[in-house]
Amino acid sequence: MKTRWLHQLLDAHKEIILQQWLESALGLFPEKMGYTTPVAMELSRALEVILSGLGSGESDYKEALDDVTRILAVQSILPSKALSIFLEPKLMLRDIMLKTTVAGTMTQEVQEAFNSRFDLLTLEAFDSYMQHREKIYQLKVEEGRRRMFMALRRAEV
Amino acid sequence: MSKYVPKLSELKKEFDEKPSVLKGDYSAREWWDIPVEFRDGNWCFPGKPEVLADLGFANPRKWMATDDDWQLPAGWQKIISDGLQSRLKKYRSLKLFLDSCVRCGACADKCHFFLGTGDPKNMPVVRAELLRSVYRHDFPLVEKILKGFSGSRKLTEAVIKEWHMYFHQCTECRRCSVFCPFGIDTAEITMMVRELLNLIGVNNNWILAPVSNCNRTGNHLGIEPHTFVQNIMSLAEDVEDLTGVNVEPTFNRKGAEVLFITPSGDVFGDPGVYTMMGYLLLFKHIGLDYTISTYASEGGNFGMFTSNDMMKKLNAKMYHEAKRLGVKWILGGECGHMWRVVHQYMNTMNGPADFLEVPVSPITGTRFTNAAATKMVHIAEFTADLIYHNKLKLDPKRNDHLRTTFHDSCNVARGMGMFEEPRYVLRNVCNSFHEMPEDTIREKTFCCGSGSGLNAEENMENRMRGGFPRANAVKQVKDRHKVDSLVTICAIDRASLPPLMKYWNPGVSVYGLHELVGNALVMQGETKRTTDLRENTMAGFENGGDDEE
Repeated sequence: MKTRWLHQLLDAHKEIILQQWLESALGLFPEKMGYTTPVAMELSRALEVILSGLGSGESDYKEALDDVTRILAVQSILPSKALSIFLEPKLMLRDIMLKTTVAGTMTQEVQEAFNSRFDLLTLEAFDSYMQHREKIYQLKVEEGRRRMFMALRRAEV
Repeated sequence: MSKYVPKLSELKKEFDEKPSVLKGDYSAREWWDIPVEFRDGNWCFPGKPEVLADLGFANPRKWMATDDDWQLPAGWQKIISDGLQSRLKKYRSLKLFLDSCVRCGACADKCHFFLGTGDPKNMPVVRAELLRSVYRHDFPLVEKILKGFSGSRKLTEAVIKEWHMYFHQCTECRRCSVFCPFGIDTAEITMMVRELLNLIGVNNNWILAPVSNCNRTGNHLGIEPHTFVQNIMSLAEDVEDLTGVNVEPTFNRKGAEVLFITPSGDVFGDPGVYTMMGYLLLFKHIGLDYTISTYASEGGNFGMFTSNDMMKKLNAKMYHEAKRLGVKWILGGECGHMWRVVHQYMNTMNGPADFLEVPVSPITGTRFTNAAATKMVHIAEFTADLIYHNKLKLDPKRNDHLRTTFHDSCNVARGMGMFEEPRYVLRNVCNSFHEMPEDTIREKTFCCGSGSGLNAEENMENRMRGGFPRANAVKQVKDRHKVDSLVTICAIDRASLPPLMKYWNPGVSVYGLHELVGNALVMQGETKRTTDLRENTMAGFENGGDDEE
């Protein structure tokens, strides 16, 4: 029952939420990333998959979540700021709920379910973000080894 | 806990007190008011004092870009100002590039660093403006004419920091110049600013250490002659183990017809060494009379990222060695900026190489008149000619375990206009080849994000951002055509694309073109092949497939 509400709301307002969400993601970049850049197009695609995934109640958005955090994890943006975008749909939905007639019928319980769903998404994003950060450091180590490939091989290290 | 994790108090300070572009604090200000911030992952370590001392470069000292005081030498403003003045006199192109930009913005969204970071100072027009603004201020005539409109500013330490940051976020790839209606070559502006910065000791160790090594021993890692020979002989043994063929390379052999020079990454780095194995097989296959020098043991020329004089010196070494050995001409391996130096600068720096002959392929008789001045032929061109004349016995099925795409290396594509030859070779040595989107290949190719000496480990985040447009194009062919192999003809690509792929497109491996040639070559007297040069199993050859079928 609780999740059905979430799906219906997300589905009904998908376009506006997606637009605002993308807007705030692009706003993270120094001079707001342009819509036609590869970064914007990739974010737009991935955010839509995430939103659809949340709407359908299936967790098939993991890969798209990875794609978003992969971009964010190498930017000069603080992790806290970068991951804050995953909390934003919560606020957008709250606004929508207040404006729509269904708002009156919203129970406290349903609203809490909304909030916890996006809190969970943010935590999932944190896991994914950290994996990418660790990957960066792993790449640094591997690169050093690759560059010295022959020396290491001949030294049988 | 990692030293990279900021403390909570620092985070709070950052949020609450510091002005931020994100909070709109700079919305009404000029672009140069936006502060430059060096963070881990967006700058390269500076040149070590001993490296600078070896080269006789200015201001050797211990410092970091994150230091407040960069310990610039006394009178550094005058050094820069005089340095700029003398270069404006020496290079008409620099003056032209500084004067002729109308800020139309055609270049703005063409830079991979701008596309990957969204930072306005990474627009080529603004990057050049970092220098132009000082040029206008320092040169009164221009300032007088354009009084009040010129956007000039005084040369301060903050400007030097900004130059260091943004002229090391340009890989000199020249994609922007393809789109510039005036043909302004922003790469040359970057080259000039880096040259000026070197005058006051603001530099990059990942560039200067290879320059110093190359200056002393002939290659970037400072591998000395005996080790250089041992490395190549070790690869030759691998080739024999895999194919049963003894490729018999020779070193410093006087009187050989051809001197072969390739980036030293092909001799000691992974995956470059497999490309080297491909060259060795090819030369054996056609019976080429060639030799490898242990002194001119580097095709790459990091002098190009340092100063004109250094570039000239390192380039001259190849020609001195060709003269000493008495070869007829030089065959050059898969390298990027080596080819820009040879193709665009060599002839006026060290040419003409009159002591060499216009290259003629001993196998096909083709005369490479395009190399009449430099006497140096690109191996992709050489191999394409061999294939065109049906001189190679190839079995492209041996690369059926790879689904390939081709990354045009910036300096070979834009620096010498070579687009078709490597593709022709690739199509003949493998059966699965898919092009990336049109606006990301050939003259519009996206850089790997790590060229021009930015390939330092500590600069990894920057490289991942700058390489995003290239990775994104690879992702498209990966998704559409299941491409798993990115083929390239540049040693920096072979070093920098593997981490880029591992980050953005896990599952895509990086190959040199001649590694695939080596896989496909059917050698006389070879043993049954089951694996490629990396010892990966070849599809359809698991039980030693027969090429004659």
